[in-house]
Amino acid sequence: MATESHPRPRARPGAVPRRRRTGADGRRLGTAGDGLLVSVLALAIGTLLTAPGMHKSAYNGQPGFKRDVALAVTGPLAGISGALLLDRPRALVRNAIGRGDEDAIDVAVVLPATAATAKPPVKPAVKPAVKPDATPPAAPAKVAFTPKRKLRLWVAGDSLVITPGYAIVRAAGGSPVIESVGGVDGHVATGLARPDVFNWFEEIRAQTKKLRPHVVVLNFGGNDDKRYMTGLPEGVTITEFGDAAWRREYGRRVGGVMDTISRAGGHTIWIGLPITRNTAQTQRFDIVNAVVQQEAKKREGKATYLDTYTTFAGDDGGYAEYLQDASDRTVKVRAGDGVHFERVGGDMIARIVVRRLNELYDLTSWRHKPRAAASASGSSAP
Amino acid sequence: MLFPTATFAIFFLIVLPLSWLTMPNVHRWRPFMIAASFIFYSWWDWRFILLLAGCIVWNQVLAVRIHRTRVQSQRRALLWLALAGNLGIVGYFKYYDFFVNSSDNLLSLVGLDAPLSLKSIVLPVGISFYTFMAISYVVDTYRGDFVPTTLEKFAAYLSFFPHLVAGPIVRPGELIPQFDTPRDPRRVDTSRAFYLIATGLFKKVVIANFLAANIVDEVFGAPGQHSSLEILIAVYAYAVQIYADFSGYTDIAIGLALLLGFSFPQNFDSPYAARSLQDFWRRWHMTLSRWLRDYVYISLGGNRKGTLLTYRNLLLTMLIGGLWHGAGWTFIVWGAIHGTGLATERWWKSRPGYVAPPDSAGRRAVERLVTFQIVCFAWIFFRADSFATAWDMITGLFTGWGDPSPLVTAGVLLAIAVGIGSQYLPARLPRLIMERFGRLPVLGQAVVLALALMLTNAMGPEGVAPFIYFQF
Repeated sequence: MATESHPRPRARPGAVPRRRRTGADGRRLGTAGDGLLVSVLALAIGTLLTAPGMHKSAYNGQPGFKRDVALAVTGPLAGISGALLLDRPRALVRNAIGRGDEDAIDVAVVLPATAATAKPPVKPAVKPAVKPDATPPAAPAKVAFTPKRKLRLWVAGDSLVITPGYAIVRAAGGSPVIESVGGVDGHVATGLARPDVFNWFEEIRAQTKKLRPHVVVLNFGGNDDKRYMTGLPEGVTITEFGDAAWRREYGRRVGGVMDTISRAGGHTIWIGLPITRNTAQTQRFDIVNAVVQQEAKKREGKATYLDTYTTFAGDDGGYAEYLQDASDRTVKVRAGDGVHFERVGGDMIARIVVRRLNELYDLTSWRHKPRAAASASGSSAP
Repeated sequence: MLFPTATFAIFFLIVLPLSWLTMPNVHRWRPFMIAASFIFYSWWDWRFILLLAGCIVWNQVLAVRIHRTRVQSQRRALLWLALAGNLGIVGYFKYYDFFVNSSDNLLSLVGLDAPLSLKSIVLPVGISFYTFMAISYVVDTYRGDFVPTTLEKFAAYLSFFPHLVAGPIVRPGELIPQFDTPRDPRRVDTSRAFYLIATGLFKKVVIANFLAANIVDEVFGAPGQHSSLEILIAVYAYAVQIYADFSGYTDIAIGLALLLGFSFPQNFDSPYAARSLQDFWRRWHMTLSRWLRDYVYISLGGNRKGTLLTYRNLLLTMLIGGLWHGAGWTFIVWGAIHGTGLATERWWKSRPGYVAPPDSAGRRAVERLVTFQIVCFAWIFFRADSFATAWDMITGLFTGWGDPSPLVTAGVLLAIAVGIGSQYLPARLPRLIMERFGRLPVLGQAVVLALALMLTNAMGPEGVAPFIYFQF
């Protein structure tokens, strides 16, 4: 044991000759104590300098013990930081790069009051959904788009929308009558349950006003399969994920987003959550999907729910990471995490979306019309 | 447990003093550090530590057996057994589905089904790095370059948390002797450590994440929707992103090790200032390059078996290097581009009558420019999620000039300029900064470091994006 021990650093006079504390390149070296002290002090000062941001991150955390502790620690720290004006340098930098308002905790769920959302959600006052056996009314003429007046399409959502979103944008690029506007607005780890993390209600209102899309493709819910929600109206309490109160509130938000889009003149195509490797997660996703599907039904003609569950199920009906493509090749469609999509999976969703666009709109007749007629038909808005 | 998180900061602030407190007696220090490293690794998934522990025991047992065996054929058999175990683990976790899928698609051309079924295997983080280090240990023992150490020291070497998940790939001879010799707490290069940690964090959190979010992901996601200028800038941006991401990570790793009293080899040396591909590989992921040189290229025969075989060896080495990065054909093409480029360079310089032109500033500039363009071209395949995307990127470079380029913003150009410009800074500048920093009193150093952390935090995005090299 003693053979590998080394003499303690405290110097016995005369025992160890003192070496100059410089490195090979002549720079002055420190001590382990210096390193520790600088680390502790730097983190302490750094914590005070960044306390507002840390408090925001703590607030955005998943509910539970860790979040409670983080909030209990960062709240007072943010207070001290503000009192000592130590939050100013960070605010200065943030303002300089145009991100001055990002530390504010925003839980506002601003939704339009519509017939569908203003009435008690349990008994919606909208017309009942079309019964399967009812004779469908004569289909109204589809709105036609032309290369001169293209269908404007915007894609937004959480991380699950990113890969399919780019596939949709690529598909749009291949069509002379579809124009992608605003690219893919995907924000990882966000959803409709936590406007404090990212306020999609504001984002959708602002972007639909700015981009004026005819169609908005959305995918939310992958991070919303939890009890905790911020921005709840007065008196609303949610006891459990998926309970009646949760469904009512989540439905209000989903429906509100659809109404925001339709008021801006757009049609919502909502991509349902896929089957996942984790059975419990899939069951939670089923609950989210059911709410979205119900809200889309209430807004028939203004919103469409696209089911992706069966698209990504294997032959046994369960989760499949690999599927056969059109040419019978085995292709990886799902990412290694068992939730997200590979490029091929994204392409599969894009095809479903494009098929739906063709059902909703006339995207092809311009090919057969004389030029003048084609441009005239494009004057009507959806 | 990612480096730029509060969780890791707390972990390190506990480990750092305990490491120095136990250091005087290495018999206490080593078990402590092994335990700390296993806790660090188990943060991802506790089951991964079984794999790491298995890897340690397997390689230690076989290295000792190789060392004790005198019969060459038996030593060779033991070496192959060790390699099979290491490559088997990596092959199973990283390449199983890739090979089954590729063979299935190949067999389906002749109407046959693959004999194996696909599995959804979760890739344990850092597996490619620590199995390569384990291979170094066994091969060095076999070659007689290293005498196997004790299980405890080997476990400390392989699991040492600063390098565990994404390198640098430290050779046994570089680190294990440091575990024998207790570190002197009066001689710690704190100024270099803090410089590396602060710049590493800035590179990763600010530069890499900014470029990924503002141009790279969007353009590589749908190249057909972007102008040629956006595609070109996105390729350059990715070159800077991957450099900032990976070199940022290894800078932090080297800095943390320094604070604990240990030195790691350098992993990057201004790679985009390289004047040839050979030069690039001496500067990019240097510990992987020399690993490939020493354990693949030389094992294949290196340049000792004639000109043609030298070219073959270069190509094979780079193909293996490509495959090491990921189970996909795009990575293999990336390796093939580099392998072909290296072989071509070698052929050019070794052809009869070749006389190197005189060195000049103009020549250096042209060489650097050409090398950078080849490296960036290869990055297209490295980043693209498929050949279709890579092809769209390449064709897009020529078909959309004059289209609007809203993604090419001043911020993006500035980040690229900072990333590339930093490679041309005089070497004395970082030294000067470290020297000035080292002269400050402890409180001054802490304030400077805290301001650097604040700047990084203020300019970085919300949350922490994973490091690119974690997936390898």
